[in-house]
Amino acid sequence: MKRLCNFYPLLFSLCLQLPASFSANAQDSARKSLLVDLSYHSLNNAVVYLSVHAKTKEKGKFVPVGGARFHLYLDKDSAACFAGDALTDTKGAAITFLPPSLQHQWNSAATHTFIAVSGDEGAFNPSRTEASVVKAHLEIDTGQGRTIIAKIVELKNGEWVPVKAVEIKVAIRRSGSDLAVSDKDSYTTDSTGTISAEFHRDGIPGDKNGLLTLVAKVEDNDSYGNLRVEKSEPWGAVLKLADTFDKRSLWAARFKTPIWLLFMEYSIFLSVWSVVIYLVFQIIKIIKAGRLA
Amino acid sequence: MENSIDNNAITHDLLPMRFGRWGKIWTFILLLFCAVGAYAYFLQLKNGLVVTDMGDYVSWGIYISNFVFFVAISLVGSLITAVLRLANVHWSTPLTRIAEIIAVSAIIFASLIIIVDMGRPERFLSLLLHGRLQSPIIWDVIVISTYFVLSLLLLYFPLLPDLKILIRVNANSSSRLNKLYRLLGSFWKGNPEQVRLSEKAINIMCITIIPVAFCIHTVTSWLFATTYRPGWDSTNFGGYFISGAFLVGAGAVVVAMFVFRKAYHLEKYITELHFDKMGKVLVMLALLYLYFNINEYLVPAFKMRKPESAHLLDLFAGEFAPLFWFAILVGMLIPIGILLFKKGRKPLPMFVVGVMVVVGAWFKRYLIVTPTLLHPFLPMQDVPEKYHHYFPSWQEWAITMGSLAGTLLVITFLARIFPIIPIQETITEQHEKAV
Repeated sequence: MKRLCNFYPLLFSLCLQLPASFSANAQDSARKSLLVDLSYHSLNNAVVYLSVHAKTKEKGKFVPVGGARFHLYLDKDSAACFAGDALTDTKGAAITFLPPSLQHQWNSAATHTFIAVSGDEGAFNPSRTEASVVKAHLEIDTGQGRTIIAKIVELKNGEWVPVKAVEIKVAIRRSGSDLAVSDKDSYTTDSTGTISAEFHRDGIPGDKNGLLTLVAKVEDNDSYGNLRVEKSEPWGAVLKLADTFDKRSLWAARFKTPIWLLFMEYSIFLSVWSVVIYLVFQIIKIIKAGRLA
Repeated sequence: MENSIDNNAITHDLLPMRFGRWGKIWTFILLLFCAVGAYAYFLQLKNGLVVTDMGDYVSWGIYISNFVFFVAISLVGSLITAVLRLANVHWSTPLTRIAEIIAVSAIIFASLIIIVDMGRPERFLSLLLHGRLQSPIIWDVIVISTYFVLSLLLLYFPLLPDLKILIRVNANSSSRLNKLYRLLGSFWKGNPEQVRLSEKAINIMCITIIPVAFCIHTVTSWLFATTYRPGWDSTNFGGYFISGAFLVGAGAVVVAMFVFRKAYHLEKYITELHFDKMGKVLVMLALLYLYFNINEYLVPAFKMRKPESAHLLDLFAGEFAPLFWFAILVGMLIPIGILLFKKGRKPLPMFVVGVMVVVGAWFKRYLIVTPTLLHPFLPMQDVPEKYHHYFPSWQEWAITMGSLAGTLLVITFLARIFPIIPIQETITEQHEKAV
């Protein structure tokens, strides 16, 4: 009897704890994992920025996660190495430029690691993603005829040395995307870190001076991230914009009616109204003929 | 002497008559409609076009449908007078004045209803001062004015010999009517030179008015066809509008023939032969208009392009289907069925057919204007529910009915003032027949 009395408080405390543990488990299972892609970008060897793409898996499909906030760091996730915050848009993408405050740290080493940390908030579990890059420069130039030369060098022991076997794409910047300069998709650098591409897009429209923007880029490289350089060359067709403003047209102001239309309208109008006037004169002649009679 | 007696009898038969009891009732009813229409227009002027059911999408409603209807009817002057005269058809002589009066009355109200549709009438002046010659709207303004002047002249020239008769008959009268006759035609002596000049002028007018008439309705059709919209984007529109205009104009003449024949006891002059001939003209025009309708609807329906399909399906089987099939059946198919038979071309069936054609034609114009505006190429999104439908407000109905009554009133007054059948031409023709 005594033993039974001791069992009741234990059972009671277990009953109280059960719903609490169910609730905690349910919360954990309801929260999803974030899949984060952290990338390094360099534009014209000057502007450096980081891009974050966040997605999650729902019903067997990847869906972008908008509104996810990430804290970005250079090398260490400490306040001194804080690179900035990134808040993803509806496509799950966000970018952040490397702040000038980290310039000294950035110049101090040839290899760096970027860290993206998302906090314990919202419907997702906290995450930490890292991306390491070796500092590299991509250069673009033009050779004889219409040849584009690109060269990639990396920082090694304080010196810039050419890199072999790197995939480089060569293109022309068009509105919205890049157009490859030839049928070849990409070029692989030789031992001097150089590639050479022939320009096969003759007659393509440039700007009003015929300038085209040539692009050399390295995309999603495991060591160097994304590098992009641009150079303008007058290889395009000169764009002549036809200025139709204030010219005679069917949609112009009233005093800019096309001559052919004016000619037609006035011809018809005058021919018909000359008949009307003639008919009115006939009435006058009839009146006169009546008086004579 | 016998000729003289005949002439007097014809003159007596065809002189305009004072309104009888029914004439006064008829005129009073028309005046009542006009008064209600004028009050509704006063409200529209006072409050703006907000009193109508037109809006962002249906910006052309019943007024423009009515305008197209009036322009269509006005073409009858050129058909009956000009085309038949140039074709040397003599049976149409008693019908010419009716056609010319209808044409003048309809074109007057076509011009007025456009000003009503503008909302602010003073802006019509801006159209003249600042209008662009590239716009079909300006072409329409020019061509309507031209057609109005030509229609007036076409009414006036053949009236001159009759004015002499009217002045002679009313010689002892000092009424205002007689003063009007004297003002308009006291110079007409009927001498050979005057007759020669008049004949020449009428012939020139008949030749000129046909292309102008074609222009007026083609340009009206271009108001729609030059606008890229489902139902209007058609190269068929010019011919489609002109054939429809001739049909409704001929229908209106048939109705007027029957009414004037009954009211003025003109059985001797507007005979069953005239109804038979007009019946044949009407059935030919109905078949022609049916042909254009088949072209207008069957070809897009065969292709059923996505932007057009909503508009076409709404006409064939949707919200506008009852009106659409009513207009096709009552305006074309049933009249054709009746008029193909000789018994169908007797006066009473012809009158019924004429009314059917005119009513069907009015709804047809409504169907040309409104359903298209309710089916723009870009979907109607995030707009109030009422924007998806159009039903004219009472003010719109009142103004429209007032304008229709006004047209009938002008016809009634012109028939009261002038002989509804040309007296001198009838006398001349009777003499020629006797010879």
